[in-house]
Amino acid sequence: MCLSSLGFPANHSDLEATHDMPSPPLPRTTATPDAPLVGLIANPVSARDIRRIVANASNLQLADRVNIVLRALATLAATGVTRVLMMPDRAGIRAMLSRHLQREHNLQHAFPQVEFLDLEPTSTVDDTFLAARLLREAGAAAIIVLGGDGTHRAVVRELIAGADSSTAIPIAGLSTGTNNAFPELRESSVVGLAVGLYATGRLSAEQALAPNKLLDVSIQSGDGIRRDIALVDAAISTDRYIGARALWKPEGLHSVFLTFAEPHAIGLSSIGGLLAPIARDAPGGLAVRLAADPARRQFGLLAPIAPGMAREIGIEQFEPMPAGRPFAVDLDAGVVALDGERELTFKSGERVTVTLRENAFRTVDIARCMRVAATAGLFRLCS
Amino acid sequence: MPDNNPFPLPKDELLDAYRRMRTIREFEERLHVDFARGDIPGFVHLYAGEEAAAVGIMKHLWDGDHIASTHRGHGHCIAKGVDVVAMMKEIYGKKGGACEGKGGSMHIADLSKGMMGANGILGAGAPLVCGAALAAKYRAKQKGGPSDVAISFVGDGASNQGTFLESLNLAAVWNLPAIFVVENNGYAESTARDYGTAVDSYVDRAAGFGLPGITVDGTDFFAVYEAAGEVIRRAREGGGPSLLECKMVRFHGHFEGDAQTYRAKGELEDIRANRDCLQRFTQAILGAKAVSEAELQAIDRDVLGLIERAVAEAKAAPPPDAADLTTDVYVRY
Repeated sequence: MCLSSLGFPANHSDLEATHDMPSPPLPRTTATPDAPLVGLIANPVSARDIRRIVANASNLQLADRVNIVLRALATLAATGVTRVLMMPDRAGIRAMLSRHLQREHNLQHAFPQVEFLDLEPTSTVDDTFLAARLLREAGAAAIIVLGGDGTHRAVVRELIAGADSSTAIPIAGLSTGTNNAFPELRESSVVGLAVGLYATGRLSAEQALAPNKLLDVSIQSGDGIRRDIALVDAAISTDRYIGARALWKPEGLHSVFLTFAEPHAIGLSSIGGLLAPIARDAPGGLAVRLAADPARRQFGLLAPIAPGMAREIGIEQFEPMPAGRPFAVDLDAGVVALDGERELTFKSGERVTVTLRENAFRTVDIARCMRVAATAGLFRLCS
Repeated sequence: MPDNNPFPLPKDELLDAYRRMRTIREFEERLHVDFARGDIPGFVHLYAGEEAAAVGIMKHLWDGDHIASTHRGHGHCIAKGVDVVAMMKEIYGKKGGACEGKGGSMHIADLSKGMMGANGILGAGAPLVCGAALAAKYRAKQKGGPSDVAISFVGDGASNQGTFLESLNLAAVWNLPAIFVVENNGYAESTARDYGTAVDSYVDRAAGFGLPGITVDGTDFFAVYEAAGEVIRRAREGGGPSLLECKMVRFHGHFEGDAQTYRAKGELEDIRANRDCLQRFTQAILGAKAVSEAELQAIDRDVLGLIERAVAEAKAAPPPDAADLTTDVYVRY
């Protein structure tokens, strides 16, 4: 099998021509109504928080975010994706990308038709929630997400709301945030290729997708239950306000619950990663109780809990976290940080529990997609 | 059991923050009414809706710290401690005003409070702040200890001015204890930001000069307070300049009389209902039972009384004398 034999729509002869003509100018593709649709959510405000001041965290500039999007679009086009639906924003990505796409159009380079979702940007996380919902309703085959752990969490929360995890739209993450435990560091050109292979049906769900774990957090009070999720870590702190959101001070850390913990991770999950690593695809998670009180501390652990911050963390105990078993938080009042950001405060009398859920949502497994595609010869061109 | 205050400020400081924010709000809403009556000469640009940024930042400052403000300067003045009656007299163009009634709304200054002035020229405060920060750096070197800081406020529109960009460069190469606050309310006068700004991220602008920059929700007092605390501490301790973008909303037009036809339908109603920083702050501190309703009502009464007195004194005060025309044009510092 080779790319040109894999069922491109008839009017994609212009795209096939690109394989014989690797250097610009390349012909443009034309979208058809039934063409595979890929969604794209690029958060313009990830990697903007206080950690740039306190820890020299990186700042991926908008211009580079747009470059990342352009590279993904170019390789999506190369696999035959002709329609991409994007989240609009008022922070500069749409404006800059539109200028670039016009230039690419002038240069006759091959790009999918990019449309923006019909939503009025508020420049808050609500844009991400709404965009994910609209992409689900529009029937996107997959969603490419540019952001940090927080952005990915917002997309997943919306996609799995009321949906069967086996049918929720898969996401492909590109790390542009601060703490990048969930999205992997990947070149967007390759992500575009992998997502394109899946979206155009050349790779099946079994071949392309991987299941993921998450944490269900619930806070029960007399007034009802508040619920949220975390993809990597739910941390409990004795801070009792949200403030600038990011959690970077080890003082006040009470406990950390983790879906997976890799020794090479940055952020709160590094605590688990350096205690008892758990792979992204392994069953179960890890619950770690930290020791603010020196009398209860078993040992200290040096962990990079935020970019540029290797800090000593007092460990009281840690234990496996099997799926489905609620872990109660024994702290009277505090804040729950989800994937590194303080999100939910709780007060005396409220009961906080954290429960690990397996097979909660699907991601496009980029490495596996490319491996399967290579083995099957999907990138070989017909002469 | 923990006490009822979960916030990073003690109760008296929370009440002080509330008083400052409430004073700004009432001051501006009163000007909105009085300007429409034709009582006030010149132009006024109101800060209502943006109070959390000024107060969240200024709570970390002392009198030796300097700020340079914008057209929309009343909130900065009040938050920095400039006398409200003197401000009102100034805006009315009367003797006894902060600048003896000769400057008006866009030129209120009080050097005793470190307030170097609102400014009629867009982006003109940023270079002034570099001077103040350089002086602060030298003084700190002589006396030791933490440095005073200097803070430049600009709007999202003024951040396109060359003066602002040159100041970022100067502050970076001289490692000044300067902070550049971009108050981003989404509109440069009537031009939406994404229409008139090539690179929309002010943090990216800072990065272009090698400065760290961060963005916070400027309608959340506690977010501003925490972020400002870190950038100011960094500057005081020799960590150099940084940029703080506060995303915020303004309740009134660019200037009083602006019909705001550039706004989306329902936009103003939405921001007043859902993004009112004073309301958010009030709900947070009342909700946590950190303060009581009676305590806030007592402040409200004080503030309304103060504004009433300020207007009455401003109206009663005489205009400046012609003989004083050139007085204070040049001032020794």
